[in-house]
Amino acid sequence: MVVETFPEIMTWLFGWQDGPGAFYIFLLLVVAACLFGLFFGYLVAAFRHGPGEAFYVVAKVVANAGPDWIRISPRRIFAIARLAAKEAVRRRVILIAFIIFAVALLFGGWFISGADNPERVYINFVMWGTQLLILMMVMLISAFSLPDDIKNRTIYTVATKPVRTSEIVLGRVLGFAALGTGLLLLMGVISLLFVWRGLSHSHEISRAENGEVVMSEVDPFTTGHRASENAVTETTTSLDSGHRHWVEIIEDVRDKDAPPPVNMDSVISQETRGEKIVYRRLNVTHEGGHTHKISYSDGGYDMSDARGFFRARVPLYADQLVFYDRQGSPRRKGISVGDQWGYRGYVSGGVTLSRAEFYFSDFTANRFDNADKLPLELTLGVFRSTMGDIYTRVRVGLQFESVPAEGDEETGNRFRSELLEFESQEFDVQVKAIPRKLPGQVFAPNGELIGSGIYDLFDDFAANGNIKLIVRCVDENQYLGMARADIYFRAADQAYWWNFTKGYMGIWLQMMIVISLGVSFSTFLSAPVTMLATICTIIFGFFSDAISKFAVPDVEGGGPIESLVRLITQKNMGQPLPDTLGTQIMERIDMVFIGMVRSVTDIVPNFSRLDFSDFLTYGYFVSNDRLLVAACITGAFCVGLVFLGYFSLKTRELAG
Amino acid sequence: MTEAAAAEQTGDRLVQTNPDYDPDVIIETQNLTKVYRDFWGRQKVRALKALDLEVRKGEIFGLLGPNGSGKSTTIKLLLGLLFPTSGRALVFGKDSTETTKNERIGYLPEESYLYKFLTAEETLDFYGRLFDMPSDVRQQRIDSLIEKVGLTWAKRRQLKEYSKGMTRRIGLAQALINDPDLVLLDEPTSGLDPLGTREMKDMILELKSQNKTVVMCSHLLADVQDVCDRIAILYQGELKELGAVDDLLQVSDETSVRARGLPQEAHEEIAQVIRKHGGDVVAIENPRTTLEELFLNIVRESEERPGRRATSEDREQGS
Ligand SMILES: Nc1ncnc2c1ncn2[C@@H]1O[C@H](COP(=O)(O)OP(=O)(O)OP(=O)(O)O)[C@@H](O)[C@H]1O
Ligand SMILES: [Mg+2]
Repeated sequence: MVVETFPEIMTWLFGWQDGPGAFYIFLLLVVAACLFGLFFGYLVAAFRHGPGEAFYVVAKVVANAGPDWIRISPRRIFAIARLAAKEAVRRRVILIAFIIFAVALLFGGWFISGADNPERVYINFVMWGTQLLILMMVMLISAFSLPDDIKNRTIYTVATKPVRTSEIVLGRVLGFAALGTGLLLLMGVISLLFVWRGLSHSHEISRAENGEVVMSEVDPFTTGHRASENAVTETTTSLDSGHRHWVEIIEDVRDKDAPPPVNMDSVISQETRGEKIVYRRLNVTHEGGHTHKISYSDGGYDMSDARGFFRARVPLYADQLVFYDRQGSPRRKGISVGDQWGYRGYVSGGVTLSRAEFYFSDFTANRFDNADKLPLELTLGVFRSTMGDIYTRVRVGLQFESVPAEGDEETGNRFRSELLEFESQEFDVQVKAIPRKLPGQVFAPNGELIGSGIYDLFDDFAANGNIKLIVRCVDENQYLGMARADIYFRAADQAYWWNFTKGYMGIWLQMMIVISLGVSFSTFLSAPVTMLATICTIIFGFFSDAISKFAVPDVEGGGPIESLVRLITQKNMGQPLPDTLGTQIMERIDMVFIGMVRSVTDIVPNFSRLDFSDFLTYGYFVSNDRLLVAACITGAFCVGLVFLGYFSLKTRELAG
Repeated sequence: MTEAAAAEQTGDRLVQTNPDYDPDVIIETQNLTKVYRDFWGRQKVRALKALDLEVRKGEIFGLLGPNGSGKSTTIKLLLGLLFPTSGRALVFGKDSTETTKNERIGYLPEESYLYKFLTAEETLDFYGRLFDMPSDVRQQRIDSLIEKVGLTWAKRRQLKEYSKGMTRRIGLAQALINDPDLVLLDEPTSGLDPLGTREMKDMILELKSQNKTVVMCSHLLADVQDVCDRIAILYQGELKELGAVDDLLQVSDETSVRARGLPQEAHEEIAQVIRKHGGDVVAIENPRTTLEELFLNIVRESEERPGRRATSEDREQGS
């Protein structure tokens, strides 16, 4: 999953970069809705009372709307909300939803454990289930409430009290919201416990009688499992929760006076070799998104509970990726390696100018919690031009360079780090800890070498917040493939519980829209039709992004009518049509049609923007901007729908 | 009460702007017409045709008519549950679709359309809240009303367990929760036993004594006759008769005399006196009590002496 860069809330609301900001669109829609409402209301009134009287009727409804919203009484709203909630509870829908949820959790656990990446499956499962059940439930209760009240005529005793129509609509929305919130909270907590319990596990390491770890005979250099470069021998753990880990013994060679490895718990032996000390440490590989901490004592080895789950990763992606070919000229895409041409671009190995440059911005120390080591995550593709050997690792070279700010190119010094080399690990996420202090050189703007030494990535290289990462393939005749999203820094993680909460807030926002849809539609539709309309809106909402992509004026082959003409006359999409009056009329109609589809995508809530389950599933953080944008979308729709419901109920004969 | 005082009493909720407003006219309908239409706007039923009515303060007004004559339609129009097809309905001088007029109205629908899963107390609490009543006032009203309609023993039971008469009673309590100035009762006595009917009638009369206005509709003529000051008779949506009950029912060319303890011989003597004055003797007989009275006496007896079959002697003493 790729976490795209997301606009800031203020830009989204009031920006003018790509089209008007959401706020202006909202204002436009409000005006349009008011005009349409007046027009439509007048038509209906004219039909009922004649064109003259209709003016008076419409004016009265409009004039009443003010007091109906200003004189709202919290006590009445509370009473209606509580009654609506009580009634909904009595419908048993909630109970059924909850039983389904419980049963799903009970049996789901059996199927999930043993998955490749259990956390993803678990989270996906609970979020998808919660979302489905909550939305279905609120849809049912909100669609049936008002129609039932009208059918049973209980509305007679309510509407003949000094209750304002606004309170009837708002009270229902709030009542169902409270109920849904309670249930969502409960489901969220249960889900979290369920996932936590499901993921928690440990393993054993097989041992010989003397208590020593039994290491495999296989040469670790050729098995391909080896995760660490310095591993000398390896074994596997027991099979628990459907998977094993590889355990390696790594030789950590250090200078005599260098500090010992940080994780001394896992050191099983050390020996002096001339000026160096060799520490032998145990390492447990990452499997399915987690690992275990291993500690060694005389008694034997202990593996901790799973670590690495429940992350809210904050990836810092490059804004831009530029490839350079062997001659050093920039290319939009990398070098072609035949088949592999596609998502990734490739750089060729050896001593050439071929390289990829990743440009990062907003690269500051506090985004990394002032850490000494910055985790860089890479997923690199490898293309070999040498046949046969598929285990030898291709070596990667990384280099950092400062990026002078615009207008600063003439004056600013440039820092360039020395090449950091390591073996690539194919098909897997590789985590490299980049030390914050790197050896490198400083160059004057004219390219003259000023000095060399140890420099700070934040204070020196990225003093202006921008930095460039250069990726090369070191081995001749090999190719390394990458895309912009394949390499990113991992800024300090966000708190998991907060991210989890945000994910559920997304569901909550969707729930609010569904409640508003249900209540508002049910003021003029019967319960089953309300449900149908709500479902259609939700489906349309989930695809509105895709639909609006097609509804662009210059789509290839033209709009619906042009496409039809092309289909009938068997004209290719690229072939221009004769410039006749007919063609022009056809294009005009298509324009209107496309405009209509576009405006429909605007007035239907974009549910994919409110759905954060992918973020939780893949362990990425949900940015505050995303949440705020989602909240704004929800707020706007709920307000619009509540008003729609108000006006339609107000103008309806309750005893008709 | 003066006009100014009436306006003041209602507070800022119901501001009177109509210059022709007469505080003594509680309900006024002008040319009120209702045509039920189907979804496509086609005319289905002309339920009410050009009704002109005026109900004054402190009156008990009866709407009479056979089934389907437009009684309930009139009441719904007065409440704003229906919109008039033409003409208008004014309640407290305000248009009937105005929400604020409901502050001073109590309404008992044809059947008590209440939430069946609430208990009596919860029901009254809910409706009390809809009047924005503070909780202490609400609690006090709830207790006294439940007591008044005789449901204290069942106040914690859900309405779905209630019998028809009990539902009717709680429906009445619900209509009176706000101590209304105008009470609209749609067939108040339907489903009630004679005791309940009598209590309902007493309650209506009590409302009158508190200077409240009551509009009730019914096709039970006895009920209407017992309590109403004025009645309107509707037939197929048209107003057929309107006037004071006494005037309408008085048979001006007959006289009746009632006496107690008169021996049989006296009958002939009285007949002679009547003939002497040129009158026609229609009947001289011992009156029979009504079944209603008989029933009420039995119930009263049984309450006083439970477990015993009431005899006619007891009744003699009791009455
Ligand atoms: N919602 C409705 N749609 C269509 N017609 C209706 C509706 N409600 C009432 N009517 C019709 O209007 C007429 C008057 O009905 P209304 O309920 O006012 O009678 P009513 O006098 O109250 O009768 P009842 O004594 O049976 O209660 C009837 O012919 C009835 O069929
Ligand atoms: Mg009726």
